[in-house]
Amino acid sequence: MIIGIERYGAYLPKYLLERKLIAEAWDFPVIPGGISVRNYDEDSITMAVEAGLDCLGEYDPNGIINTSSIDGLYFATTTPPYTEKQCAPIIANALDLRSDIICLDITNSTKSMSLALARAYETIKAGKANKILIIGSDSQKPMPESMYEYQYGDGAAALLIGKDEVVVSIEDYVSTSDNVIGPWKRAEDKFIRSFEGKHENIYGYSRNIIAAFKLLFEKTKIDPKSIAKAAIYALDPRNAEALAKKLGINSRAVENTPFLEFGNTGNAFAFMTLMLALKRGKTGDLIAFGSYGDGADAFLLKILDKQKLRELRRKCRGIIGYKNSMVMLKNYGAYLSKKKIIETERFIRKSSPVRNWRDEKFLYRMYGMKCNKCGTIQYPIWRACIECGEKDNKTDIKLKKRGKIFTFTLDHLEGGNYYDTPVPRCVIDLEGGGRILLNMTDIENPQENVKIGMDVEMTFRFIHSGANYNNYYWKCRPIRVLRKEEEEE
Amino acid sequence: MVKKGIKDRVAIIGVGCTKFGENWELNAEDLLIDAVYEAYKDAGIKDPQQEIDAGWVGIQYYFTGLAGCTLADAIKLYGKPMTRVENFCASGTDSFRNACLAVASGVCEIALATGVEKLMDEGGAGLPGFREFGHPTLPLPSAPAMFSMAATRCMHEFGWTKEDLALVAVKNHQNGVHHPKAHFRKAVDLKSVLNAPMIADPLGRFDCCAMSDGAAAVIITTPEIAQSYNHANDFILVKSNALAVETMAPWYKPSFGFTSFTSTVKAAKMAYHEAGITNPRKEISLAEVHDCFTITELINVQDLGFCAMGKAAEELRAGTFNADGELPVNPSGGLKCFGHPIGATGCRMIYEVTKQLQGRADGIQVKDPKIGLTHNLGGAYTVASVTILGKNEK
Repeated sequence: MIIGIERYGAYLPKYLLERKLIAEAWDFPVIPGGISVRNYDEDSITMAVEAGLDCLGEYDPNGIINTSSIDGLYFATTTPPYTEKQCAPIIANALDLRSDIICLDITNSTKSMSLALARAYETIKAGKANKILIIGSDSQKPMPESMYEYQYGDGAAALLIGKDEVVVSIEDYVSTSDNVIGPWKRAEDKFIRSFEGKHENIYGYSRNIIAAFKLLFEKTKIDPKSIAKAAIYALDPRNAEALAKKLGINSRAVENTPFLEFGNTGNAFAFMTLMLALKRGKTGDLIAFGSYGDGADAFLLKILDKQKLRELRRKCRGIIGYKNSMVMLKNYGAYLSKKKIIETERFIRKSSPVRNWRDEKFLYRMYGMKCNKCGTIQYPIWRACIECGEKDNKTDIKLKKRGKIFTFTLDHLEGGNYYDTPVPRCVIDLEGGGRILLNMTDIENPQENVKIGMDVEMTFRFIHSGANYNNYYWKCRPIRVLRKEEEEE
Repeated sequence: MVKKGIKDRVAIIGVGCTKFGENWELNAEDLLIDAVYEAYKDAGIKDPQQEIDAGWVGIQYYFTGLAGCTLADAIKLYGKPMTRVENFCASGTDSFRNACLAVASGVCEIALATGVEKLMDEGGAGLPGFREFGHPTLPLPSAPAMFSMAATRCMHEFGWTKEDLALVAVKNHQNGVHHPKAHFRKAVDLKSVLNAPMIADPLGRFDCCAMSDGAAAVIITTPEIAQSYNHANDFILVKSNALAVETMAPWYKPSFGFTSFTSTVKAAKMAYHEAGITNPRKEISLAEVHDCFTITELINVQDLGFCAMGKAAEELRAGTFNADGELPVNPSGGLKCFGHPIGATGCRMIYEVTKQLQGRADGIQVKDPKIGLTHNLGGAYTVASVTILGKNEK
């Protein structure tokens, strides 16, 4: 049985903070590049939904795959919005997955996502599932005025693991565990901490990765020189090259991590490096993939079909699509606000988890209905048709997450408060039918940029924390990545 | 459509209204008692316990008051049917409608319709309650935003500009200068309206009516009983009162165009039919319409049949709706000058039109009016109530 990657996808939030703005804020030495910054209404869960949608083909011109074919969702993060309550079911709902699936949160380590990959491999191998979606998503909140601010970017990566349409196979893997003190965050800690870095770098990071790959090469009897690509978790590109050298892997095989470009995206980081490595892959290429965190995971992967791999790239926006559509933050203050390091929560609304649970189908799964009498496609789902009043004679249908603005306003009032930054409220006619009202996010200078007739797409976001739990719903945004650009890519 | 109807079967014999505004020192009880006692005096009610059979009070917000006792406790009129009515911003007119039905049915001889709201106690930044109201996660635009979405669409379809909207504010503020009970009695110029801070783009501060406190009261009876009260010779007859309720979520209705409010169109059709009005522009002498926002007035005058679709801005510029124009709209100054204490507004409109028809308007008196109209609109253009009043032509 060949088990491996059938599809992949990624997500990077819209905003990029150049490291020089951090340097300016704190009078730090300047480091080049930037960090990706989530918006105030994003977290690990919402970014996971984005990467999941990208992986499943939401932006594929041929359309999204049948989501009921997926038998499991393994979600990996070090920054779960909940410490008690699973995140994966929220993501599974937003992605409209079945309920008779295996949902897992694998947390607390930056190699949680490679553990998820190994678990998916084993589950499918055991015949318990055909397709499993794994998503890694992280949004670390580093302490202000610390060098951690240079490190952490926000983002998510997703892989669809299966046995039927494998493009990159999992040949074998090794997982090691080591109680080394790397970065940590206790339950009561607001910010990530770490001890003196040199010890961790030598005895934690380097030693564990080398040990894991040595075991893998012994086990698979693969000559390290035959490795065509090496995608290894590394915060410094020189680290990966040094490790490759020690392992006997050709230094030209080593893929640069995107650390300089947008920072360490936690669980997604190693996988983003892998996705970048796949870009130039050829049929038969062997890939060494390694991740780190309380031990190391080493995988041997193989590209089965270069042509199919190229097709996969066109089915998603991926890192390149999202990276090319990022916008630079103008100053450090915007970063503090978007990351909610300075709390600027707009409003809390009275909420009821019961009501949101009851309305799951149209709130999370984004279903509407078609009246069987007059044919009107409408949102949300209700008993009688809004146009003709026909009762209980309808078909629930999944709505498209893309449409055009019919009318809008820029609302400065929310929950009885006046805000200087307005919320665009957009009435949208969805492609394929249905009209909906959504707030717009990821928009700059709305007075100039929101217009009747503009194309928008839906994005899953944190709305408010009424009833002391996370209320999520969809918003709209301008089309984040234009197809034309993708084709040029 | 309308079955037996109430035309000419209900007479208004007394009206009362407080000064609208930031009535910091008054509570809902003060406001109600002032409005009701003014109406008693106007009608010539001497012994309310004997004469008043039932009362209604229009209130939107729970913090203003719950249940019929809000009215009963204010005026200490106990042991009678007293009912709180809530129908968004049309709550006041719905209170009046219920009272009319009771008199027309013969259940009551003299009935009291009131409305009150105490908004200022909740703070001034937009209508309160938007944290508690509605679905927990579906978007809920503010009231200005609801109407602003219509403004955006009208500008797109009719070519209206921000200046067209602003001219509504200029006209109504000019009218309000003369009204002693208005919240604002200051004229505004076009430039100030256009330069005001944005509330919900394209609506700025002067495009929106204010948060205010106030109360109004109307006393009604049959035309026969009216003969023995103060206004025996000039009581006002209710020609019709129609209420139409549409969806609270027009943004989910694919056929909704955002340039016309279906609730108003339907309520007007019913009200005109019952009153026997076939050409509203010619037959109606004046109208108090719901100008909660400038855009609302432009859409209202079209929906009420005062002018053709898309032509409201043109007609406004031509002076058609000025206090001395062909069809005066909001000669009182409207919600723009009075503010909008939700439950009170509908009864205040009845107060205004009654006094206009009697030739004793508080502010600008319209010349020799015969038929007057009130239009009260609530929610996301959800609830519309249209009332036609006329003089008792002998």
